[in-house]
Amino acid sequence: MDAERFDTLVATHHREIYRYLVRTTFRTSEADDLAQETFLRAYRAHRTLPPDANARAWLFAIATNVAKNHFRAESRRRRAHAAVRETRNETDGAGPEGETLFNEALALLDTVVAGLPLKQRLAFTLRKVHDLDYDAIARSLECSPDSARAHVFQALRKIRRSLNGSEFSLGRDER
Amino acid sequence: MTRKPSVCQKIEPALLATAIGDADTTTAARVETHTRACAPCREDLARYRAIDSAVGAWRGAPAPAEELVGARLTSRLADLRRRTLVYRIFPSPLGPILIARSEEGVSCIEYLTGGSDFAHSRLSRVEGVEALLDGAEVEALYRELLEYVEGQRTRLEWPLDLRLARSEFHRAVLQATARIPYGAVRSYAGIADVLGKPAATRAVAQALRWNPLPIVVPCHRVIGTSGALTGYAGNRINLKQRLLAVEGVQARRAEHDFRVVREAMYARDHDDPAYCLPTCGSIGQRSLAGLTLFASRERAEAAGLTPCSDCRPDLHPIAR
Repeated sequence: MDAERFDTLVATHHREIYRYLVRTTFRTSEADDLAQETFLRAYRAHRTLPPDANARAWLFAIATNVAKNHFRAESRRRRAHAAVRETRNETDGAGPEGETLFNEALALLDTVVAGLPLKQRLAFTLRKVHDLDYDAIARSLECSPDSARAHVFQALRKIRRSLNGSEFSLGRDER
Repeated sequence: MTRKPSVCQKIEPALLATAIGDADTTTAARVETHTRACAPCREDLARYRAIDSAVGAWRGAPAPAEELVGARLTSRLADLRRRTLVYRIFPSPLGPILIARSEEGVSCIEYLTGGSDFAHSRLSRVEGVEALLDGAEVEALYRELLEYVEGQRTRLEWPLDLRLARSEFHRAVLQATARIPYGAVRSYAGIADVLGKPAATRAVAQALRWNPLPIVVPCHRVIGTSGALTGYAGNRINLKQRLLAVEGVQARRAEHDFRVVREAMYARDHDDPAYCLPTCGSIGQRSLAGLTLFASRERAEAAGLTPCSDCRPDLHPIAR
């Protein structure tokens, strides 16, 4: 890949990579650093990317690696969990009743997802927020597509169990 | 919690896949049939679907400070790109040679003498440079360089990146050196002269001791005013002689050194548009500081010079 294509790649994907990392770290300052790290790494490696490669999946794989390294320090994982609780408290109480309930349910969902084991959380986010296929997720997590799927399913089961008995199922169905 | 019937356990992955839209039509139909009859599984499916649709709200939701992040990223990337050089090391006939380039142009050619890996290079010790091992772009440069040192090519039309120069003066010396034509030589004093600093001969020689782009910035074409091939790549005078010989510049072994054969070369006085025989007027007695010497008429004319109308080198070429 040449320098010009790399420019296009940054312009096209930096937002979603940043969002992915916000969703992964729950802290915008950390997501900012990690997004920069992701693209700096990508720049260092972009010359070796074959022209027919899936550049988007490749970027997500780099971002996932950067996030995994970041979370290697256990304390950070706990901080992320704490951060999402804080946000949740801040957003409480706004909007009409139904919306509040829904927002509350969403915030609860955030908390539950933040508490998932890292691989499940990453797999779930890649699949459900960024629509990556299981091959791409497998590449990101360095596992087989079957385990990638298993991570997503396991995440779903845990979310369901954690939400059981909450008001979540009353949330507005947008379909 | 009571255990689910085995049929429900079996269908559970299919149910999950259906809920999040991963299932093919057969699987979805199987789940449909089962959940029509099984109330607990129907409820599960509804719950998973609710989760799935809630997660859908995350998509496309802008993240805070996106614009700011974009700007910071752009500036850090720009900085990295400025500092990045891609390089490769080749086993050339002149010994292992490192070639590096930036996005702006070729920035470093280095004869590796201590060992043929990057750790032995001077480039590895330059601060602020981010050197990446890479192939394709640099490989093409190497092929051209090979043709050049083998005499199959007389020009290297590469964009140069002189940012490894250590000072403005260093850069000016490299630029002046880069203008010496193929098959010609000038003296250190001559370069000092061109730069408007006639007393800076030693400084010019010092500056050329670290030429980040040998061959391309042809410091091998810079000689002493005595005509001696002094200092090259440490003390590899043979290499200097070899590079000059490829261009047709002959050097003869003198008592302690190699010297160009002045009487076998055409001469240009300062910026004169003409080239002369070595015997024209006072040229034979003049210091090399003001002269450029050419290996042949072809080389002088390739540099855009015309034959002198007094000595007529075109009618009376130097006898070989």
